[in-house]
Formats: sequence, C-alpha cells, structure tokens
Amino acid sequence: MTDLSSPKAPADHLSAQELADHKARVMNDKKKDLIQKFAALASLLLLIVVFSATSDAFFSVSNGMTIGLQVTSIAYLGIAATCVIITGGIDLSVGSVLALSGVVAALAVKAGVPIPLGMLAGILVGGFCGFLNGVCVTQLKLPPFIATLGMMLVARGVALQITGARAVSGLGEAFGELGNGALFRVVRIGSDGFPDVIFPGIPYPVIIMVVLALGVSIMLSRTTLGRHIYAVGSNTEAARLSGVNVNRVTLFTYVLSGTCAGLTGCVLMSRLVTAQPNEGVMYELDAIASAVIGGTSLIGGVGSISGTVIGAFVIGILRNGLNMNGVSAFTQQIIIGLVILLTVWIDQLRNRR
Amino acid sequence: MRTPLIEMRNIHKQFGGVVALDDVSVTLHRGEVVGLLGHNGAGKSTLIKILSGAYEADGGEILVDGAPVTIRSPRDARANGIETIYQTLALADNLDAVANVFLGREIVTSLGRLNDAAMEHATSDVLAKLKVVDLKSVRAPVSSLSGGQRQSIAIARAIHFQAQILIMDEPCAALGPQETAMVANVIQELKRQGLGIFLISHDLHDVFALADRLTVMKGGRVVGDCHTADVTQDDVLAMIITGRPPA
Repeated sequence: MTDLSSPKAPADHLSAQELADHKARVMNDKKKDLIQKFAALASLLLLIVVFSATSDAFFSVSNGMTIGLQVTSIAYLGIAATCVIITGGIDLSVGSVLALSGVVAALAVKAGVPIPLGMLAGILVGGFCGFLNGVCVTQLKLPPFIATLGMMLVARGVALQITGARAVSGLGEAFGELGNGALFRVVRIGSDGFPDVIFPGIPYPVIIMVVLALGVSIMLSRTTLGRHIYAVGSNTEAARLSGVNVNRVTLFTYVLSGTCAGLTGCVLMSRLVTAQPNEGVMYELDAIASAVIGGTSLIGGVGSISGTVIGAFVIGILRNGLNMNGVSAFTQQIIIGLVILLTVWIDQLRNRR
Repeated sequence: MRTPLIEMRNIHKQFGGVVALDDVSVTLHRGEVVGLLGHNGAGKSTLIKILSGAYEADGGEILVDGAPVTIRSPRDARANGIETIYQTLALADNLDAVANVFLGREIVTSLGRLNDAAMEHATSDVLAKLKVVDLKSVRAPVSSLSGGQRQSIAIARAIHFQAQILIMDEPCAALGPQETAMVANVIQELKRQGLGIFLISHDLHDVFALADRLTVMKGGRVVGDCHTADVTQDDVLAMIITGRPPA
C-alpha cells in the first residue's frame, strides 16, 4: 500500500529533478534518431566517393544503370520486409517464394498462357504463400521465424519439384521485356546496321521500384492501415484493446511480403529470360539487412521506407563497388556480414534507453 | 429506484477448470465512482475485462441503462460508451499522443487518408480540458512522456469519444503523488459530468478518497457492497481478508 500523504516538499523537489532528467532524455532521443537517419545516408555517400576514387568504371551512367537494376530486387523485398518487421514479425521465405513465383510464371507462359497473365499468376502464387505465412502466424500462433522458415523450405521444394530442378528456358524475347525494357528508350539503327542506344531510358524495374516505394510509404505514413501496422509492432496488446484488428493487419503485411516476392521473382526471371528454381537463395537476408540498415527496428514499431531504400542502395553499391575493385566473392560476404553486425549494433544502441 | 447506468447480473466465467467469477452481480449509477476491491485473483480484473470486451462471459447478462447488451469485443464495449484505462498504460509507445488518442478510430479524409490536422486539433482541445498543459508536443512519441502525461493521454482518449462508463484499472499505480492528485481531480471532474466510473485499486487510501461505494470481491464472488461513508478502512480490510461483511 503506497502512502499518499507523504510530505509534499521532497516530492516537489524530486519531480523537478525528474523533469530535468526527462528533458535531457528527450533531447538525447532526438539526437539519436537524427544520427540514425543520417548515418545510413552518409555511409551511402561515403561508399560512392570511395568506390569512385578506387575504380574508374564505377561512376558512370552504364554502371549506375546496372546498380539501379541490381538494387531493385533487394528494394522490392526490403520494402515489404519493412512492413513485416514493423509489426514485430519477420519473413524468411521471400527468397524461396520469389523462385516459386518465377517458375510458375515461366511454366504458365511455356504452356501457352499470355505473358501478362502468366506473370500475374506468379505474383498471385507469391501472395498466396504470404497468406499462408500470415495464417500460420495469426491463427496457428506460430512464431513468425518458424512459420516463414517452414514456407522457405516448402516453397523452394515445390519450385524444384515442378521444374524437375531444371531451368525453364526458351520463353521468347517478350518474356524479357519487363526485366530488360525501359520507358523512353531511344534506339537508332546505326549506319553499320547495329542498334545505337541514344538514350537508355528508365528501366521498367526501376519504375516499379519507385511506384512501390511511394505507394507503401504513403500507406505507412498516411493511412489508417499504416498507423495500425506501427501500433501492432509498438504494443500489440494496446492495439488490440484499442479495437485494432491485429490479426488482419498482421496478415496483410505477410500477404504484401509474399506478393512483393512474387513480383521480384517475375522481374528477376524476366531479366534472365530464364526461370531458375534455385534463384533467390539468401535474398531474404538482403531484404532484412536493407530494412535494418535503414533504421527499421527488429523489435517492431519503428521503420521507414525511405530508410529501407537507402539500405538497399548501401547493399547494392557495396556489392557492385567491391566487384569493380576485384574483391573476391568470399571477402564480399565477410564485409557485408560485418556491415550488418555494425548496423544491428547501432540499432541496439538506439533502443538501449 | 433509478435505473443503474450499468448492471452486470450473475456473471460467470471460468478458465479451464478454474472458476474465476461465480455468479457476480454489480451495479454502477451515473455520477458514481464504485471501487472494486479484493486480493490478486479475487476476480476484479476478470470482471472488468468482461465489461470492456477483452474476455467474453460464460454466463450472465450486462445491462446498460436497463437494456441488455452483448459485449464480445472492445469495439462492442466502446459502442456502448464503455472505455477502459488499463493499469499497464496501454499506449503504443512509438506513436505520438495524437495517434494514441485516435488509435482504432482515426479521422480520415474523404480520400481515405489520415486527417492528422483534425486529430491534432482535437487532441490539444481535450488535453486542455483535462488541464494537461505541460505536454511538450502532441507529436512526440509517448515513450518520451512522463507517467502522468501518459495516463492523461489514456484518459483523453476516453473523454474524447464521449465515454459514459469509465473503467480505471489501478490508474495511479505507476504515478507519483502529484500525478495521482492530478488524476484524482480529473475523476472528480468526470463525476460532475455524470459519468460512471469503476475504480480498481489495491490502495485503500486512494479508493476511500475517490469512491462513493465499495464492492469487495474474494475468490470470484462479491462478498460485500457498502457506501464508503458507512465503513472504515479497517472494516473493508477485514472484508478483503476474511471475505465476510463487517458485523
């Protein structure tokens, strides 16, 4: 039993002291958030400067295009992963789901389905995988880590099974349009008979990335659904008691993640004009890493799409720049691993309050 | 006799083989503060969770203004004007005051976008009504606010949505003396406005200062119901411990 009639004076003194502490803490929090926000952007710029200095070929239009294309797949997955992670979940299945979606699209096209419909089928398969993940998490109450780990194995297994573990090729030029085409590309047939690219245009995958990033960003910051996503990750019980349909919100993020994985699968397979059932291994980790580098907290409740896109570029540029400098694939893994450790450590520092 | 604002009749609830509430009936009138007392496990929280829609009763009925209502979810409770302020300060820490006040009932524009300007305005208004003036910003994450300010936001939520019945579960447990006094003032103000308030507390001192009537529970049953003016703290303490009304 607390005694409320304790002397007033010491209480006043204490609360004044508390108020001062509180103000200091608020200032500190603000400073930390600012540091986090600019750390990712600053490291991105630093990477560009360093790689431009060490490699002549790095800072060029054509390499910029290459990076842009490479980053798109990490970004699609990372944007969706951000939503899942904000609710306090995780999706480990996206790498496998994208492979399954890609081969489903390719097999459908092979079977005579028109290309847009075939790709739509692939994306729907991805969304369905995400739906199953969501059902496992919300209805069967499985931990997201386990639910999506199971889906990771199942989706990969199905992709290998239906293709007999062989690549699906001979899909025709049109299948490659989504991954290789570009808007406003100007090509002229030169006097030597070879096509001359006058203006490379904006690749379709980049356009999709921009639309997706803007769409999800607006959804998160300007809609009820977005606010509920943050609320679920911030305090699930409070969200539920406030009348938020926690299961529906959680389910939505997994369906979004699966759908984005399906989209990634179609774009990737289109770029290669071949569907590989073993494509996308470990992509989920790139997606999660890009979200975390961008300031998304694995505890949930915190994260932004702009941060994740920066994170995706950090990973993409790191890979590309290391390649340009002739760093071996093994060393690259070590470096990217260390970058992830560093950023998660920064995340921990931010949350240690 | 007046129709009670809330009447819970013969409420029964069990979790597996454990009977948490056994034939519990309580009432609450307009402008009245009823203190619910009892040990941990006496059934206070279970009863209140049924009224707020967090649990569903296995038996019994709930009447609001004399009319039977069905409460299956927090949304149902809210639709009947019942708002709950939880002991654990059920706020989403990473969201700001505005988002918390409107969580689950956001104001949206005709295009379906959040109308933050309107929500911010309404939040500032209701906080001013509660005389919460030292709030740094309604747009700062609530994790950066003090316990009293957070409690004020929880109360502001209820007030803004025209609650008729307020359930306060240990509203002062996490607060310092000054903040407790602030919450007490708010409760007096709400009483004047004709709200009915269920107050759950372990703190007899708090309860005697605020409640008009006391309902004592033990082992999932109501063991006593008396006006605060008619009993002493010792009587009530004896009732909580022995489960028998004072001689």
